[in-house]
Amino acid sequence: MSCPKTHYLLQEYFSEGLSAVARNELDRHLADCAHCNAQLESVLLAQQDLQQWQEQRVPHWDRHLELFRQEHHIDRPVSRFLLSWQWLPTAASLAMLCVLLLNVNVISNDSGFSISFAGPSASGSNLNAQLADFEQAQRLEMQQLVARVEGRQDSTSVQLLQAVMEQAQQSTADSFDQMYAYFEQQRLLDLQDMRAGYEQLVDSDYETIRSLQQLVNYVGYQSDIR
Amino acid sequence: MSLIDEDQALIASALKGSAYAWEKLVKRYELKIYNHGLRLTGNSSDAMDLMQEVFLGVYRNLHRFRGDAKFSSWIFRIAHNKAVDMNRRKRLMTSSPKFSADDEGDEFEKFPGKKELEPENRLGSIEQNVRVLKMLSELSSDQRSIVELKIFQSLTFDEIAELQDISANTAKTRFYSALKKLKVVSEEQNVLS
Repeated sequence: MSCPKTHYLLQEYFSEGLSAVARNELDRHLADCAHCNAQLESVLLAQQDLQQWQEQRVPHWDRHLELFRQEHHIDRPVSRFLLSWQWLPTAASLAMLCVLLLNVNVISNDSGFSISFAGPSASGSNLNAQLADFEQAQRLEMQQLVARVEGRQDSTSVQLLQAVMEQAQQSTADSFDQMYAYFEQQRLLDLQDMRAGYEQLVDSDYETIRSLQQLVNYVGYQSDIR
Repeated sequence: MSLIDEDQALIASALKGSAYAWEKLVKRYELKIYNHGLRLTGNSSDAMDLMQEVFLGVYRNLHRFRGDAKFSSWIFRIAHNKAVDMNRRKRLMTSSPKFSADDEGDEFEKFPGKKELEPENRLGSIEQNVRVLKMLSELSSDQRSIVELKIFQSLTFDEIAELQDISANTAKTRFYSALKKLKVVSEEQNVLS
């Protein structure tokens, strides 16, 4: 069941400027009117839902400090440690400049190291001579190497040819031996076959003679009977 | 020393050129302003822009702060004005003809609507906040602004009326209408969850 006062009363419920009398009146109505009370409860629940919000951290930002410092002509605070070491880059730069200008040469060998000033530039021609010697030595070494490779290639070719020839001869002799053995074997087999043929022929002849003898004997016997 | 006195002391030091005092003053209010922007805009990027603009405004106008009002009220007035400006700029950048007929009225009327609020994407894993932003995204911009000022900033209807240049009764009506809409949204969310 709806109530005509709900809208106005609940609107006033959240007003902080309500007098004590009006507040009492409103509370009394809410206690008596189930509809207004239910509406208020649901609206307060929605309000509670909103109040569940959890504050989120602010992402990092400079808080306009750079602007503040610029406009107030404030330098960035520098730590005492950095202040005490700020001469270091300058000193390092100066040292490097001296090294370059004085052409310092540091030579390290087995007996330690030595530092000389303006040394290497005086021996420019010496360096060229050393380079020429080195080039000459390289050229000689290359020629020797080429000759050695060529010699090795020649001897290798002759050996290879000989090996091929020997192998060819050997294979030819082996082939003749095999052919001879084959023909010999065939000849023996043919002789065996011929012998077997003659024996069969002789056997058949003997059989024929024996049959003729038997026939003769039979004929003679018949004639005797008559 | 009370918070108001501390604010006054910090303002005085900052005006004399103390970067430390300025930083401390900003630190006292940045969390409130940032979260205020987050609830109004619905995304951290716009909230950050708004906060930076607010503190730039504070910095530029710090000498004008007379001290007869609370610094928090003053800074939230600046925040409100900056939010209106931002809203206006956004409207100009994404202007749509259909808005022109209804443009009269509260400056917040066309503050970022539902489509621009992307709670899941922007707010990470704070579930409650996502829920709150979803609820707020259902409100019109003027309702959202009044809810923000009344519930989160605990301003009186008179203060809200003065800030938004409306009557106290209008502020009350808008607030109650917003609560009724939030009630419906909350009930829907409870049914779905």
